[in-house]
Amino acid sequence: MKTNDLIDMLSKNVEPAERPKWRMRMMATLLAGLVIAAVLVLTFIRMRPDIGTATLPVLLKAGFSAAAAAAILPLTMRLMRPGAPIGWRAAAVLIFAGVSLLAAFIALMGMPSEMRMRAWMGGGFPWCIVEIPLFSAPAAVLMVWLARGLAPTRLTLSGAAIGALSGGLGAMAYAMYCPVDSVAFVTTWYVVAIAICAAFGALIGSKLLRW
Amino acid sequence: MADEAALRALLLKGLAGDEAAHRQFLTEAAALLRAYFRNRLRGAPEDAEDLVQETLVALHTRRDTYDPNLPLTAWMYAIARYRLIDLLRRKKRRGEHTAIDDLEIGDADPEFDASDAKRDVTTLLAKLPEKQRRAIELVKLQEHSVEEASKLTGYGVSDIKVSIHRGMKALMKLMAEEGAA
Repeated sequence: MKTNDLIDMLSKNVEPAERPKWRMRMMATLLAGLVIAAVLVLTFIRMRPDIGTATLPVLLKAGFSAAAAAAILPLTMRLMRPGAPIGWRAAAVLIFAGVSLLAAFIALMGMPSEMRMRAWMGGGFPWCIVEIPLFSAPAAVLMVWLARGLAPTRLTLSGAAIGALSGGLGAMAYAMYCPVDSVAFVTTWYVVAIAICAAFGALIGSKLLRW
Repeated sequence: MADEAALRALLLKGLAGDEAAHRQFLTEAAALLRAYFRNRLRGAPEDAEDLVQETLVALHTRRDTYDPNLPLTAWMYAIARYRLIDLLRRKKRRGEHTAIDDLEIGDADPEFDASDAKRDVTTLLAKLPEKQRRAIELVKLQEHSVEEASKLTGYGVSDIKVSIHRGMKALMKLMAEEGAA
């Protein structure tokens, strides 16, 4: 088929395109991913038993995770549109990570040195860096599905952004279970967990997001 | 050749359902894309027209990803560049080494003027699922309106529209696979 015939075919009976509601669809996807993550947390590792007295730290941790997701969202949305400059959006993610790690450092310096290790590591291996990525996976799948309807052209970066954003959602849900409330623990290991999600996303993004 | 503002106006009119403007947009875009791909694929001019066609279908099926607040040419060339990289990746996977560094950049071969691609879109259409193929044939190749196609096939009007859109996206995938075969 000659190119001119193809152009005829494409333009014949062209329909007015509906204005796509990407923002609404993204919000619906985020909400669905969050609900699924929350159900998985409640099913497999349960709400922490002392939730009655620990409501405030749980809300703070969920709020911190929500702030991480909010810092990553603009970059993710941008990457779905071809040729749109990223501008401040990547910097927002790096600044958030930098401020979090700085907060961990300040919190640790503000306490007696013999308490630091426990406050930082939460008294054992920080399992959240394994569990948050697991609970984030369904949200990531939903977002990949949304992204494939758009047109990401930088697949590795898009994969990383989708991974990180779903990691933020997973961390929000994980906060209901997470028994460690120290500031340094959360601002270090939640950020590491989200970074791990981003790394997974970057690795498989170029395969899953191809169109 | 049309400039940014003219091209953008044509696409926006096309998005509003103006068939002539959409045809004009695709025609202008095809000329720009041809120059773009031929400059980058000097060693393989027959691949260039394949990519022009593939990218036209991509621009058409993804035209709702264009943000009117941003430059149109940036959007168009980002998609073109993506299709080019995708082609090179596919070739690499198949063991044909056309590393991007080896590509000569310069004037296109003036002798090569065929607007015929290597692969034929008509044969690819036959590989689509029955419903999508019928919808595209009736509405996009023959002179039927969406309503007529709906009566002829028994599918609903919105069903026909969705089938055309999905079929076009699937067609671009087939073009990409075939282009590397």
